[in-house]
Amino acid sequence: MGKDSLQGALDLLVLKILQRGPSHGYGLVQRIQQISGDALQVQEGSLYPALHRMEQADWIASEWRSSENGRRAKYYKLTAAGRHQLEREQENWSRVTGAVAKVLRFA
Amino acid sequence: MSLIGKSFKKLRLLLQHGALDAELSEEVRFHLETKTRDYMVAGMAPRAAREAALRDFGCVEQMKEECRDMRGTQWIENLWQDLRYGIRMLAKDRKFTALAVVALALGIGSATVIFSAIHGVILNTFGYDKPSQIVSFAIHDSSRSGEDGREGMSLPEFLDYRDRNNVFQDMTGGFGGFGAAPVLYSTGQGTTEFSAWYTTANLFQFMGTPALVGRIATPDDTKPGAPPVFVMTYKLWHDQFNSDPAVVGKSFTLNGVLRTLVGVMPPRFRWGWPDIWIPFPMDRNQISSDPNLKEAGVWPVGRLKPGITPEVAAADLNVVAHQLAKVYPDQYPKQFRVTAHTLADRVLTPFKTLIYPLAGAVGLLVLIACSNVANLLLARATARDREIAVRASLGASRVRLISQLLTEGLVLAIVACLAGCLLAWVGIRKVVPLVPYNTFPQEAVIDMNPVVLLFGLGVTLLTTVLSGLAPAIHSMRGELQSRLTRTGKGAGGGFRHGKLRSFLVVTEIALSMVLLTGAGLMMRTFYALDRLALGFSPQRLVSAELNLPKGVYDTALEKNNLFRQLFERLNALPGVVSTSVSLVAPPYAGVGSDLTIPGKVHSDTWNTAIELCSEGYFKTLGLSILRGRLLSESDVASGRHVAVINQVFANKYFPNDNPIGQRIKFNILDQVPDPGLKDIYFEIVGVVPDVLNRGLQRPAGPEAYIPHTITGFGDRSILVRTAVPPAALLPTIRNQVWAVDPNIALTNAGSVEDSLRKSDYAEPEFLLVLFAAFAAIGLLLVVIGIFSVMAYTVSLQTHEIGVRMALGAQPDNILSMVLKKGAALIAVGLVVGVGMSLVLTRLIKSRLWGVSANDPWTFTGVAAVVIAAGLVACLVPARRATRVDPLVALRYE
Repeated sequence: MGKDSLQGALDLLVLKILQRGPSHGYGLVQRIQQISGDALQVQEGSLYPALHRMEQADWIASEWRSSENGRRAKYYKLTAAGRHQLEREQENWSRVTGAVAKVLRFA
Repeated sequence: MSLIGKSFKKLRLLLQHGALDAELSEEVRFHLETKTRDYMVAGMAPRAAREAALRDFGCVEQMKEECRDMRGTQWIENLWQDLRYGIRMLAKDRKFTALAVVALALGIGSATVIFSAIHGVILNTFGYDKPSQIVSFAIHDSSRSGEDGREGMSLPEFLDYRDRNNVFQDMTGGFGGFGAAPVLYSTGQGTTEFSAWYTTANLFQFMGTPALVGRIATPDDTKPGAPPVFVMTYKLWHDQFNSDPAVVGKSFTLNGVLRTLVGVMPPRFRWGWPDIWIPFPMDRNQISSDPNLKEAGVWPVGRLKPGITPEVAAADLNVVAHQLAKVYPDQYPKQFRVTAHTLADRVLTPFKTLIYPLAGAVGLLVLIACSNVANLLLARATARDREIAVRASLGASRVRLISQLLTEGLVLAIVACLAGCLLAWVGIRKVVPLVPYNTFPQEAVIDMNPVVLLFGLGVTLLTTVLSGLAPAIHSMRGELQSRLTRTGKGAGGGFRHGKLRSFLVVTEIALSMVLLTGAGLMMRTFYALDRLALGFSPQRLVSAELNLPKGVYDTALEKNNLFRQLFERLNALPGVVSTSVSLVAPPYAGVGSDLTIPGKVHSDTWNTAIELCSEGYFKTLGLSILRGRLLSESDVASGRHVAVINQVFANKYFPNDNPIGQRIKFNILDQVPDPGLKDIYFEIVGVVPDVLNRGLQRPAGPEAYIPHTITGFGDRSILVRTAVPPAALLPTIRNQVWAVDPNIALTNAGSVEDSLRKSDYAEPEFLLVLFAAFAAIGLLLVVIGIFSVMAYTVSLQTHEIGVRMALGAQPDNILSMVLKKGAALIAVGLVVGVGMSLVLTRLIKSRLWGVSANDPWTFTGVAAVVIAAGLVACLVPARRATRVDPLVALRYE
């Protein structure tokens, strides 16, 4: 799996989590670690370039709000285009993993 | 999002990037603080918590860079940053910047000036429709190779060519123009003259150019009974009539005929270079019934049909010519062929031979400038090694480093380009008026236009790339570590690429030698021409053509009386030494003719020049008698058939006999429409010294002087030798002519010296001035180049010099050490330069006269100049080397 697929996977994760509701960067990291149970060890900082890229692509939108601990934080939420992208990525992902599974079974 | 929307978004990002960066920092800070708090809540000490949070996060700065990259505007921000940094660096190092800008600007400016001339004259010469289709042709006598061939023809012959050819869409022909066919225009107060080009009425349609004001003349204007018309050039309309549109439609009396002005042509339409055009009919009946047109000779041109080349046209015209040789047997030699050339070819050759050497010289100058700047940039790059190494170690990619250097080069280039274009603009203004008259067609306009500017930009780009190569090579090589630790000075430091720098300087020296040699050869050519023995003194000599009214002075007797009266008046003037009749003024001769000498048989053509003159001719030109006697007053008064010949004539045709008393016949006189001239023989009565009569650059040919009164046919000129400057006397001479007969016009009146300067000296002078200017600039650049290399070398060796001085070396030793290095460079450059010059000067051979292309004196002189200049350039750094304080030098490591 090359860089692209890893990048695609990260995008998918972020979009999926944001589907539940808006969150800031730190919250996303926590959620990913929570759900995957620390199996996905990713440098926390590497999330932010991905977030900024997705914001450039208009899949997510950002706004500054005060957070739960009172400080200002940048919250991201899914856009309509982001929702489309999420569906596409999900389909893509299932297709790829399905194909890999088939190969593993029959090769 | 649409493209425009995306661009706007990017623009907004650019402008807000400061705020966006602050936001990013805030975001990261929030993350780190929240993580730290969580760790602390979990029980870690504050410091440990912070460290853990940072570790988890990863590299903050790098991540921030990546985020910035995601914006997609990074490259613009980088460019902007590089630009500002570049400008700061250039402003800091003022000496370098000034030198580099000056060198580049000189190169760019000179190249642009020369290109503007090439563009204006060669690439974009004429304002006529499709000028490449316009072709002139000539009939060449096969037995006289090397001569120009006959282009003029009578109108009936012209019409025959027009009817019978298969290659031209149309033909037009005419005569007159500057100096010929002056038209006397009677204003209310007096008489001025215009020069007219008489043309077939289809000229303007042939050229395809509409009138600027009014309308063009057409064949309808020359139908029988149509009122006579004429067309004016823009120049005359602007100069004499203030561009007043009301003047169109008015009637003017020209040469006694009332003509209506129907139109004014645009500024670039100057066909024939006259003041006005007068159309005449193309109908055979009308022509044969008009005595002026019947005898007129026209210069024809044709417009090729699409797809026909001049060679194809020449072949077809050859066929037609052979048919017409039977109709006009007198006009055609026994064997002949026809050649055809496009207008551009015919008219531009003198200019091309002038401009191509200059273009070569400018090319050399540009190369010298590039080497110079490359050297300066290389020195700078070496000095900035450390800075670059530090930046590389901080994480700058190779791309980033190179792009910063290139941006700096770009700033330099832009400044140099602006300066160069300014220089070019000034240069064009100053130089174009100096171009010798008649070198290029008057239709051509040399100025700064968008194409020329574009060329300037192109040259800038070229010089930037060439100059930037050396430092770019330097940056690409070399390891980081050694650069960081190397100080840039010291024993062996910085000497890598010493070879490159030496190579550049040697190249500069060699190129400038070529330029200097060219200039030197031009100088010698000019001096040779200037000191040429003409055989007569052109100072204080006036020549003027007399335009006599028709029907009044047709016989020899009437002409003689006229000149008697005129010369009586002129000779009485203080300031006039002597006067004479002539056909033309030297160094040209009047008419050429074949010779018949009874009793002598010869196989080759014997010909001579004939000058019709009066008895004052020899005194006016300062010719003393060598043998026999000069023409006398009674010879002229009676139109006696006697002749005086020059030395060349005597030696060529009477090598073993005494020419005095011999009889000769001038065959051309048989063709003159004067029955009294048929079959007459002249007796030779005297021999005079030679006077140049075939221009300045060819030796004198045979010439015979006979009284002008042998016939009344033809025009006459006068020559006046004055004791005062000629310009002062001209108005008086004119008035005296009018006192005898107010209807005589004096044309082409002026000092012989002036006209010689314009026609024969102007070109070599012009070439000399420009070549010398380029060579001087080149030499200046070379001096700067040598200076900078030597100064840099010395600065690198400060440590070594300090050591030597501490060990007991005297200032003289240091001086000679430095000078030896410099001398080595100069010597190599000299050798290469001589080699290149020997090869390249062959290219300007055609412009040289009186000196060979490999003239040893010139080469020696140039070598001396280069050596002197080079040593001077080395002196200052050498002296600086001797003043090195050993203590200071040794301390600096």
